[in-house]
Amino acid sequence: MRTQNATAYRFLTPYLLIFAIFWIWPIISSFIISFQATRTVPWRFAPAFNWGRLIGDPAFYNALKNTLLILVIQVPVMIALAIVMAVLLNSPLLKARGLYRFAFFAPVVVGEVAYSAVFRLMFSLDFGIVNKLLNSVGISKIDWFSNVTPAMALIMIAVTWRWAGYNAIIILAGLQSIPEDVYEAATLDRVSRVKQFFHITLPLLKPVIVFCAVLSIIGTMQLFTEPFLITERGGPGGGTETLGLLLYRQGFRSLNFGYASAVAYTMAGLAIAITLVQLWLMREPK
Amino acid sequence: MAAVTLTNVVKRFGIFEVVHGANIDIADGEFVVFVGPSGCGKSTLLRMIAGLEDISGGDIAIGGKVMNDVEPADRGIAMVFQSYALYPHMTVEQNLSFGLRMNGNPKADTERRVRKAAEILRIDELMQRRPKQLSGGQRQRVAIGRAIVREPQVFLFDEPLSNLDAELRVQMRVEISRLHKELGVTMIYVTHDQTEAMTLADRIVVLKAGNVEQIGAPLDLYDDPANRFVAGFIGSPKMNFLSAKVVDTSNSAAIIELAHHGGARLRKPLCETFPAIGAEVVLGVRPEHFFEAGEGDCDIPVKADVAEHLGSVSYVYANAGPEELIVEREASRQRASGDHFKVSIKAERALLFDKAGARIR
Repeated sequence: MRTQNATAYRFLTPYLLIFAIFWIWPIISSFIISFQATRTVPWRFAPAFNWGRLIGDPAFYNALKNTLLILVIQVPVMIALAIVMAVLLNSPLLKARGLYRFAFFAPVVVGEVAYSAVFRLMFSLDFGIVNKLLNSVGISKIDWFSNVTPAMALIMIAVTWRWAGYNAIIILAGLQSIPEDVYEAATLDRVSRVKQFFHITLPLLKPVIVFCAVLSIIGTMQLFTEPFLITERGGPGGGTETLGLLLYRQGFRSLNFGYASAVAYTMAGLAIAITLVQLWLMREPK
Repeated sequence: MAAVTLTNVVKRFGIFEVVHGANIDIADGEFVVFVGPSGCGKSTLLRMIAGLEDISGGDIAIGGKVMNDVEPADRGIAMVFQSYALYPHMTVEQNLSFGLRMNGNPKADTERRVRKAAEILRIDELMQRRPKQLSGGQRQRVAIGRAIVREPQVFLFDEPLSNLDAELRVQMRVEISRLHKELGVTMIYVTHDQTEAMTLADRIVVLKAGNVEQIGAPLDLYDDPANRFVAGFIGSPKMNFLSAKVVDTSNSAAIIELAHHGGARLRKPLCETFPAIGAEVVLGVRPEHFFEAGEGDCDIPVKADVAEHLGSVSYVYANAGPEELIVEREASRQRASGDHFKVSIKAERALLFDKAGARIR
């Protein structure tokens, strides 16, 4: 057995080496860097420098507020939408189910730059189809890119469009694992379809919904592409700047690696904390 | 309580007809078992009675009322599923009361019904547990309890014991039998296990490939099967079939010659039909109807291959020419592997079938 293990580890060594150098070491290194002042040469150990700044930095609180706002509004809306989409996809009445499944999943595989460019065009003040449609029903044009609230809404719409289908496919897998005879038993018990949904489907989907929610929370905590590409680097005036964008700005524009590392660890810590709270709230009763 | 009547019931899935005009009358309070091999249409028939499958043709009446277009919940039936179909996120108590609660049944009445079902099935101690915390037998009890609380006119059981181990199956069989006596309601039970059918049923409906082969009391089916399929399906170990040929017919009897047993002949009295001389026939003999040499009308030599000793009796799997026979022997007359011995057939205990499998009486 020991020889077998040794052989296995010899085969694993190349992977483990790459994993250690490119995954483990950056994680450790960034943690160390977060305690260093990195805008001096040479870098010096100054524990309060970055973490102290973080506590009093209005830009950090603005990014945190924006990230949490998106998290609180967009994630529940997207999960609810994904459940509705999954139920529709699962309906035996739906024709061309494969086509819909592909259509719902397609946004995930579309290039981020391409989809951001299309969203910018669609929501353009003068030429965008969205404003034209709003106009046609009597609603005045919205300047999606110059005002904070519409810009935030745009980010949420874009993220929801991109990920709702992905979550719907995961939830669909959960739906299809619920045995049909449970519903038949409920039908014989004269339980309506609506009550079946709320009293059987939703409770049985809980683990899958929790899984999707955890993935979405982690994703939203790292949100970068949409505010970077669609609302032009967190505009207007930092109104859609997220923690991911703040990290990028500090680390790769200002080359302030220490502060960027502190932001990164805060993001990871928050994601873990929120996920733990959610898992605790959704735990199975004993 | 209610009678159930199936008149020319047909079921088609697309172009495939899986039930070909079933006619079955089930009396009020009767325990009827649908039995047959996989794919014979027994579960489909049960699901049509429940309303979970549409009927392609014919009528299903419960309590004298045609139910073809009546919703499952309004048919006065309750069903116990093979997989139990319990709500996994609910406690036993919630499982039992779910249907009643969802329909706004008065709380006191719901509690009374749940308590009564729990008492009948002796699951009072399990009320706060969830299905995954129960054994297979306990889950099955809860599934039956959920049917009881509906106070149905007809109970439908779809292979309820097939997921249980052998010992538990016997135990639950007894419990279901007791339940039928206690409640006195009509029960329709689907199984592929002929032992379950024989032990539980007032009457058995034998199905094959969507056709009703025979309906009758268990022992009637055992002693007087309508055809070779029923003869082979009912009884464990199954009936032996020996190839034979009619060599003469005279004086209300047919003289038949066994094909693979050195020209052994048997005079089989008949009263209804007389096969033609030279016709190929099949002689059916149950394992317990092979007598000691000289005790019957025709002896055939066999060689013991394998012997199963069950205590009170032994089953000897013996080779007789190209045919393999199962012979039942009392424990005191055990045979060892490789023994050569003779068995005897009594004409009155042997059944005759034509080449197509129809009974010749």
